[in-house]
Amino acid sequence: MDHLTRLENKSIYIIREAYYQFKDIAMLWSVGKDSTTLLWLCRKAFFGAIPFPIIHIDTGYKFPEMYRFRDERAKEWNLRLLIGRNEEKLKEGMGPGQGSKLDCCNELKTNALKMVIKKYRLKAILLGIRRDEHGIRAKERYFSPRDSQFKWDYENQPAELWDQYQSTVEEEEHFRIHPLLHFTEYDIWNYVKREGLPIVPLYFSKNGKRYRSIGCVTCCSPIDSNAQTIDEIVEEIRISKTSERSGRAQDKENTYTMQKLRALGYM
Amino acid sequence: MKKTLIIGIDGVPYSLLSTYIENGMMPNLKKILSQGFTLHQMNASIPDISSVSWTSFNTGVNPGEHGIYGFTDLSPHSYSLYFPNSKDIQAPTFWEILGRTDRKSSTLSQKYHERINRSYRSIILNVPHTYPAWPMNGILVSGFVALDLKKATFPESAYPYLHSIHYLIDVEAEKAREDKVAFMKSLFECFEIRKKAISHLFEKEPWDLFFACITETDRLHHFFFDASKDKESPHYESFLQFYSELDKFIKYLYEAFHERYSEKGFFMILSDHGFAPLKKEVYLNRFLEEKGFLVLKKNGNFYERIEEGTKAFNMDPGRICLHDHDRYPRGTVRKEERTDLLRDIKETLRSLKGENGEKIIDKIYEKEEIYNGPYSGMAPALVCLPNDGYDLKGSLEKKEILGYNIFKGMHTWHDAFCLLPEKIIFSEKPSIQNLTEYILQYYSE
Repeated sequence: MDHLTRLENKSIYIIREAYYQFKDIAMLWSVGKDSTTLLWLCRKAFFGAIPFPIIHIDTGYKFPEMYRFRDERAKEWNLRLLIGRNEEKLKEGMGPGQGSKLDCCNELKTNALKMVIKKYRLKAILLGIRRDEHGIRAKERYFSPRDSQFKWDYENQPAELWDQYQSTVEEEEHFRIHPLLHFTEYDIWNYVKREGLPIVPLYFSKNGKRYRSIGCVTCCSPIDSNAQTIDEIVEEIRISKTSERSGRAQDKENTYTMQKLRALGYM
Repeated sequence: MKKTLIIGIDGVPYSLLSTYIENGMMPNLKKILSQGFTLHQMNASIPDISSVSWTSFNTGVNPGEHGIYGFTDLSPHSYSLYFPNSKDIQAPTFWEILGRTDRKSSTLSQKYHERINRSYRSIILNVPHTYPAWPMNGILVSGFVALDLKKATFPESAYPYLHSIHYLIDVEAEKAREDKVAFMKSLFECFEIRKKAISHLFEKEPWDLFFACITETDRLHHFFFDASKDKESPHYESFLQFYSELDKFIKYLYEAFHERYSEKGFFMILSDHGFAPLKKEVYLNRFLEEKGFLVLKKNGNFYERIEEGTKAFNMDPGRICLHDHDRYPRGTVRKEERTDLLRDIKETLRSLKGENGEKIIDKIYEKEEIYNGPYSGMAPALVCLPNDGYDLKGSLEKKEILGYNIFKGMHTWHDAFCLLPEKIIFSEKPSIQNLTEYILQYYSE
């Protein structure tokens, strides 16, 4: 079995296991390359008919290309799409220009997701995070419990050995399930290539720049790149030494540092 | 057997400390001073920011050599904020030189590298700008701005104890906005935990050099400095009580050290900058904007708002950067216009007046005057030092030049202090980076 097929099998096993354990489950789709890959794997796991809803948290600040891609795929793949928006805060004018970025992310992403989880009484969420994305994620598990406050007690996690995943949960908690944890950024692009998976055109180079990671328009910066095809992206990632999220303003550590500094009057 | 004890007290001004000593509010420190020590007024680093000043002390060199100019910087050839951390320090610290684990080199380490004839073990606790912790001979627990206690601890074996006492890296300064009384209480609690950790390591671990920082004082001053001499203030008693507890803790450490190592040990106390009552915050970017040196877009994040027409901008506290064409994506300032531009900016800054028409800017240095070394290229073109009372800020979001926040105190450059053995005599006022060499000298004697 080749490398990508092995990765794919493992993910599909986790997706099916998750659905077997939790019928009140949904998948979080940011429309980026990772969660689109996850979506593709969910389709494969259930032969094209995903038996649970797909959540898109809409901050109102995503790229137009992302909304277009979302709506086209939802139609084409017959998805049950749930859109999560913190309407109240959006009406109050919350945005990246208002207050700190941390507040903006908190309200428009975290709280919007909390509302969706509450409204649909979800017990588990499938997410497309990968272990190589960020230092803190190296500690993540495939099945990762969160309490009602969304807190992740990373020092007290069940061990996951030999495919034995602990997938039961206390009341009021929900599980985050990460079927893509073992993929690297390089694997993702190779998989996208092999499967002929459609992705948002922002990833391809335009005027010498492309996005390596996408989110809200205001908080993403493109990187210098001439990669205009999947093959060229694969090659670029293969030799790249900078971090994938280097173009993302909302890096958690920076945000926290900024918060600390601001409390003492800097910035 | 050579032993050193260094106590760092963040943000304690010479003037306040000497008043408190004179008035009998710090009897233990007074007694120590009578046993062969002298209290000196001292200059902080420029700028007088904890990360820069402590790094200058830790390395014994100026920012041109150690490469740290503030809590924030911009990433090369961009406008995105960068937060320098311990990995960005370009010179070895004195504990690396003493432990013979120094991999970088500096003018100071070159001088002493050969003269330190064995590896000395150090314990370094809560010193700002030492995060993430990195390998050394001894134990390092990073201070502000440390984010994760595990990453703040070297070696890993020191972590379980800290975890078990619920060690706090810092007080939550965010709390001060909501409830000042509760915040004051949390400062005392944080100080208790700090003392507990310091005493534990001091007594249970073997070491040749022990250096611990108390940072609660800086937080106390930021939010309550107006209470330092004002008997009417509701926080006056708490403020004095904090200094009294500080005095007792210094006594405990000094006596424990003295008993064990008598006169032979090397003992010092120092702060990294002073403090003064804050009258107004001064938003230099707003001023530069009004005077036409700075052009900002409406939207965007922090320095990403800088437009092509910009000639100069300010970063916390008073670091004026020229918008050089070869350094910033939209930069337009060419080499040949720098001299005139710097003169214009200096003149304009000097015209800045405060509440009663008093001058705000006290000194303006060009980078060549104060920095030298391989990393002076990344220095701001000018650094301003204000008169006491006017706190310079790098904010880009203010509509006015002068304003208030919730802060009651501001850092000062000229009023840090050090307490040293009386045989150390200075011909002129010392700067924080001058002290480091005395430590190395002691070990190479």
